[in-house]
Amino acid sequence: MNYMPGTASLIQDIDKKHLVLLRDGRTLIGYLRSIDQFANLVLHQTVERIHVSKKYGDIPRGIFVVRGENVVLLGEIDLEKESDTPLQQVSIEEILEEQRVEQQARQESEKLKVQALKERGLSVPRADTLDEY
Amino acid sequence: ILEDYLLVEDAPLLEEMAEEDEELDLYNEMTFGLDRDSTEEDATKPLIPLETSPELAKGVAEETEAGEELEPGVAEQLEELGEHQEEGGMEVEVEQVSLELEEEEEELGTEEQEEDQEPCEEPNDLGDPAVMRAVQSKPTLESQDSAVLESRIGACWAEFGKEDMVAMDPAVWGSCPGSIPPHHVLEDKAILQVLERPPPSTNVALDFLGSPVQRGYGGSPRLKHPNLRLMSPKSFPQRFLQQTAGYASPTPFQPMSPNISSPSRPLAMHFGPMSPSLDPALFFSPSASGQLNLSTPSHMTQLHPQHQRILTQRQQQGGQAQSISPKKLWSPKVDPYAGLMTSKEKDWVIKVEMIQLQSENMDDDYYYQAYYHRLERKQVEEELLGGRSKQEPPKLVTPFIQKVETYDSVVRIAGSLGQVAVSTCYSPRRAIDAVHHALVEEAAGSHRLRALHRIEKLFLQLLEVEEAQRKTSLAPEKQQPCCQEQKSQEVEHIYQALQIRACSSEEEAEDEFLQLLCVRKGKKLTARLLPHLTREQAEKILLIITHHLPFLMKKDVLDESLPLLYSPLNEVVSGMTFSRLIEVLQEMTRPLPESPELPLAMALKNQFGISLLYSLLSHGERLLSSDMPLEPRSGDFETWTDTVFLVARELSQVPKASLVEPLFLPSNLLSLFCRYLDKQTIHHLEAKME
Repeated sequence: MNYMPGTASLIQDIDKKHLVLLRDGRTLIGYLRSIDQFANLVLHQTVERIHVSKKYGDIPRGIFVVRGENVVLLGEIDLEKESDTPLQQVSIEEILEEQRVEQQARQESEKLKVQALKERGLSVPRADTLDEY
Repeated sequence: ILEDYLLVEDAPLLEEMAEEDEELDLYNEMTFGLDRDSTEEDATKPLIPLETSPELAKGVAEETEAGEELEPGVAEQLEELGEHQEEGGMEVEVEQVSLELEEEEEELGTEEQEEDQEPCEEPNDLGDPAVMRAVQSKPTLESQDSAVLESRIGACWAEFGKEDMVAMDPAVWGSCPGSIPPHHVLEDKAILQVLERPPPSTNVALDFLGSPVQRGYGGSPRLKHPNLRLMSPKSFPQRFLQQTAGYASPTPFQPMSPNISSPSRPLAMHFGPMSPSLDPALFFSPSASGQLNLSTPSHMTQLHPQHQRILTQRQQQGGQAQSISPKKLWSPKVDPYAGLMTSKEKDWVIKVEMIQLQSENMDDDYYYQAYYHRLERKQVEEELLGGRSKQEPPKLVTPFIQKVETYDSVVRIAGSLGQVAVSTCYSPRRAIDAVHHALVEEAAGSHRLRALHRIEKLFLQLLEVEEAQRKTSLAPEKQQPCCQEQKSQEVEHIYQALQIRACSSEEEAEDEFLQLLCVRKGKKLTARLLPHLTREQAEKILLIITHHLPFLMKKDVLDESLPLLYSPLNEVVSGMTFSRLIEVLQEMTRPLPESPELPLAMALKNQFGISLLYSLLSHGERLLSSDMPLEPRSGDFETWTDTVFLVARELSQVPKASLVEPLFLPSNLLSLFCRYLDKQTIHHLEAKME
């Protein structure tokens, strides 16, 4: 920002640890190694972090090349504050299990909701037929 | 000397790596400019391919021994190393050549001159077609004015240290701590070089050379030992690249001179000397260092003038400014993968970003524009208050890069599966838009998807119309009428595409226009289009909407986006004739086949409906109470009175709980009712309407 005030650039973020949130909901944490004009990212030593309530688990993934349009947001991680979190890290197996359980619960409640709305004559449009792109 | 460098045991592996490096170099060179990159790649690898070519060593050895005698050796070296250098760009050669500290610049001068004689055109043009021209590099003064070279090199070389050479990012090499106090030394290895604008007295062609005194280099880690020799043949010259006279830093933005007609190569390649008419281009260091000696030649860029000013100011202050940025504590353990993205690449990205800022479209870079507008306004205020002399913004005259009007960012090769990516892209927005347009073309299956596609397509057309209109409003007076005509044609086209036609209530779900109106964006499109339409067309839309109001209201229960249409429709209503108004009102009072309720009654329970109704009534009242001749048709007044009574009746009957608050409550409604109704009813209605 300092050389182009009024604009944002990822140049200053290179070689720093970042947290990247993707459009599909995944959270990646890795060192930002390279970017381009589309904000495509090269993440190094990337870890995919799965969060379920107060727990999280990290899956090491290696190197990611992320297409810019799939990034929702990203931010630098302060290495000093990184460990200062109320969240509890658990093993991969555990977090995957927790995630599965959570997904199941969500799907069930969604089913009930849709049913209830249908009974009242309302239909919530499915995601693939939403109005705006 | 050799022992300063790492030795690699694996010779064959090295060779393979070297080959890959060559290809990468070629690619990098084409995209970013000279092949500095092999060095930089090497730097990040723990192993450094170490092939000290005998000639190189010889050349270096020779240099250290003698002065002028080295010329031939060096020249030879140049030829060797020149294989990847296709550019005739001076600085490249110069960079390649700058081998030694002690080297006399005459040598360099000669080398450069020799190289001057072999201008090359980049054969494989991977350049961005958006770049129309490239400037042919010309021999620069640096090759002729040895005095400048010498001072610069001398200053830089004093600072080299051997321990940093291996691991660090060559970008840092560019930093010449020469005249910079030690505390300016930046520890961030991924720092770009910073070049300062050379003193105005130097010859223009030399402009991109900075004066060593002013040079605000980011500073390198203290480099003590000048023994930079004997690195791998590729890396060796490149390390010195930075030190060259000229611009050690990667890729300055060298604005292209518009009158150069030989596009020898795309901009990508050209971060080189430009035609003499250009001013120094500069580089900015994106590092955290406070020393941003950034300035772009004012007449060369189309950056916002305020931005321009900031850059020049910074550059002026650069000399005095101390390193402002907090020195980030580099973590004690050195990140071995740092610097993967070379400074050249970073510069390139920054360059593309800057190019993107230069857009004629006001919608792009809203924040950039807004920031500078605000800054300007503040400055103007300050000037008014402080009574300072007005700072003239630098005049933006020539574009810094000429973009081609038609740009095929998406290349389709027959028989290929999809699109071929273009390797360089100076207009990412255009590229993204191109893809977007491609997507929209796809034929969609379902009704709804087709409606959505139509909306998108028409919306884009409307945006283009508005854009064109914005531009013509800025254009000189005489051009405006023909643009107006074109605009009306395009608006007409959009209107026709909406397929507005009368339809019965059975056909409502199938009607194309109504389908559009059921979608929020379709309403937005219509709302945005209305101001551009002729009165007749706009009134037609109003009529259709009012006619199908129950249907639309029903469809809008979830979305609640009908109010989007209120404002533009209100405008349409305020311009209607009395007869037309009656026609519209009749739509609201006609009985419906499926329901005992009048549309009007339904409207009272819908925010948009009630607002529209009030708007219509208010306009009628306004017309009646004005002195304007109404020219009513026969029966109009009766219909009007009937309508008012109907409204009053419905209003009194509808329970207050069901009555929705309108978007706007016109003030003359009560007076309207007063005309026709008794006091008691009026009070009742008043209470309801509150």
